[in-house]
Amino acid sequence: MIEYVVRRVLYGLLVIALVTVFVFLTLRLIPGDVVRLQLADAPGVTQEQLDARAAALGLDQPLVAQLLKFLGDAFTGDFGISFQSQQPVTSIIAERLPITLQLGLMALIISIALGVPLGLLAAYKQNSWLDQSLRVVSVAGLSIPNFWLGLLLVTYLAIWFAWSPPLVYRSPTEDLVSNLTQMALPALALGVSGMAAIARMLRSSLLEVMRSNFVRTVRAKGAPERTVLLTHAVRNSLVPVFSLIGVQVGGILGGTVILESIFAIPGMGSMIFQAVQMRDYPVVLGAVVVFGAVFVTVNLVVDLLYGVIDPRIRYA
Amino acid sequence: MHPQPLLEVDDLHVEFSTADGPVEAVAGVSFTVGPEETVAVVGESGSGKSVTALAVLKLLDGGRISGGQVRFDGEDLASLDNRAMRRVRGNDIAMIFQDPMTSLDPLYSIGHQIVEALRLHRPVSKKAARERAVELLEQVGMPDPRRRLASYPHQLSGGQRQRVMIAIALACSPRLLIADEPTTALDVTIEAQILELLHELQREYRTAMLLVTHDMGVVAEIADRVVVFYGGQVVEQGPTAQVLRDPQHPYTAALLAAIPHPDSAKELQLPAIPGAVPALRDMPTGCRFNPRCAMAWDDCTREVPPLYELPGGRTSRCLLHRDGGGSAVVAPPAPPLTAELAPAGPPARAPLTTQKGI
Repeated sequence: MIEYVVRRVLYGLLVIALVTVFVFLTLRLIPGDVVRLQLADAPGVTQEQLDARAAALGLDQPLVAQLLKFLGDAFTGDFGISFQSQQPVTSIIAERLPITLQLGLMALIISIALGVPLGLLAAYKQNSWLDQSLRVVSVAGLSIPNFWLGLLLVTYLAIWFAWSPPLVYRSPTEDLVSNLTQMALPALALGVSGMAAIARMLRSSLLEVMRSNFVRTVRAKGAPERTVLLTHAVRNSLVPVFSLIGVQVGGILGGTVILESIFAIPGMGSMIFQAVQMRDYPVVLGAVVVFGAVFVTVNLVVDLLYGVIDPRIRYA
Repeated sequence: MHPQPLLEVDDLHVEFSTADGPVEAVAGVSFTVGPEETVAVVGESGSGKSVTALAVLKLLDGGRISGGQVRFDGEDLASLDNRAMRRVRGNDIAMIFQDPMTSLDPLYSIGHQIVEALRLHRPVSKKAARERAVELLEQVGMPDPRRRLASYPHQLSGGQRQRVMIAIALACSPRLLIADEPTTALDVTIEAQILELLHELQREYRTAMLLVTHDMGVVAEIADRVVVFYGGQVVEQGPTAQVLRDPQHPYTAALLAAIPHPDSAKELQLPAIPGAVPALRDMPTGCRFNPRCAMAWDDCTREVPPLYELPGGRTSRCLLHRDGGGSAVVAPPAPPLTAELAPAGPPARAPLTTQKGI
């Protein structure tokens, strides 16, 4: 078990390192460079000044040297200094990560809290009009991109109800109501596809379990339908749904980039959005490492919890 | 026989609704099981024997009882509502299923599953229920029963899982045990152990048993009476020894002839019954067995044979008995069940031989 966790962590580190290298290289393929973005428009800039700025940012070194330096520093928890704000990337992330984690968690809770009951309902009322309409809702939820849903929500709430969420971020400790009001719409937009996926998966999984032999055994014992369903069928049908949650987290993290920007939430997502625009390489790379670490950790936790609900799963 | 039967299945009809309309899987089946009696229901796949067993407890998935009665202790189960039916299941009548590999919930320990069976019907504490579970596991021959409580089904072999199923079935000391091909999925050595265990516990718990099987060897070993199913109907029933020694229905005779026997079968080709059980949708007119019957003649395709009452508490659904003929079928001599059936058929007009065919 411990051996398994250690191995998974090492694999995770390898995955993060590979993703970092990949992102590092693709960033450099984007046209435009940071020095010109920062200085080119200033009148009377000399080539010497541009070179000096590039040297100050460490961009005069060969690419491989830059990459190795970043990886080496990142391993000790140092992601360098932001090209833009001149602050350590680590402290910027420390400030913004909790905001994104809150948003992501809210999105995950929404997808589970809505997806599970809807899936159970659809299975329980199989082939009814309710099941059919839930099917439509699910397919729509899976097909609509989350940023588009976010835009629709803002636009139509403003048009129909002349209401828009607060545009200045308040931390939960400062003003909980304002904080939650601002987070609610992006969290909903991020959670809908997860909700739809969970509902669909749970429906088919539960229908399959209800036809299985052990459910018949439970009925033959004289158990009421409530016990059959809640104690035995639902728990068994949740096993495949559970693995969906790990995948969800990836989608949610990716979705924050645009949704945080739309809703003016100063989290990791909007930070990545701005950093890419400004070619602020250390910030983008720092964010990638952190998102990678969150994703890998969540999936490890999901896999470990798997063993808690299903005793057949052994870690080796 | 037994003056007051425990279970009386009376003209039972079971219907399944399909995309092409309803299909009748069981067409007017009647038989009884007396207290502490073992009755075997035999027949090929698709003969309706498992459906009948499931119908007794109303555990049919997608099917429904469309006619007849299932009286247990005089009370008609077919007309009970779900709530009342739940009090019967696992309590008065318990069931053991065919496939022990998939019949236990993989996410719960076997202790939990036995305790659950007990506490659904008995107001006992969890602790007392666990003690009883240990006792049950011991009775079904599970080694180290106390430690086994915490085991999950996937940690047990097929035979052990079936032992757990038996423990669950016996938890509330039912008066009737329905065993639906309890050993079909097990290998032969385990099969013998499980049958012996069932038989032993049945005596100990003084419970009656309805044993569904397609294995004549199993029937011979533990059944008091045997009911032979074909095409959703009972074609013959009677005390086991008599039916096996002297089958009255050509189908029973053919079934018995298809059993390999060490003395005779070495060189002889094993006689199989030609054809397959007809689909429920297109049962032949007249006798349902007539297309496969070596003794069939014209009348068999026109006339539906009733169940004829024969001496010795036996019945048989064959036109051979029409003229009061008792033992119309000449059976393979027992004990060595040889391959050949002597030519029989209705008097005068039956040049049919049975050498090929059956």
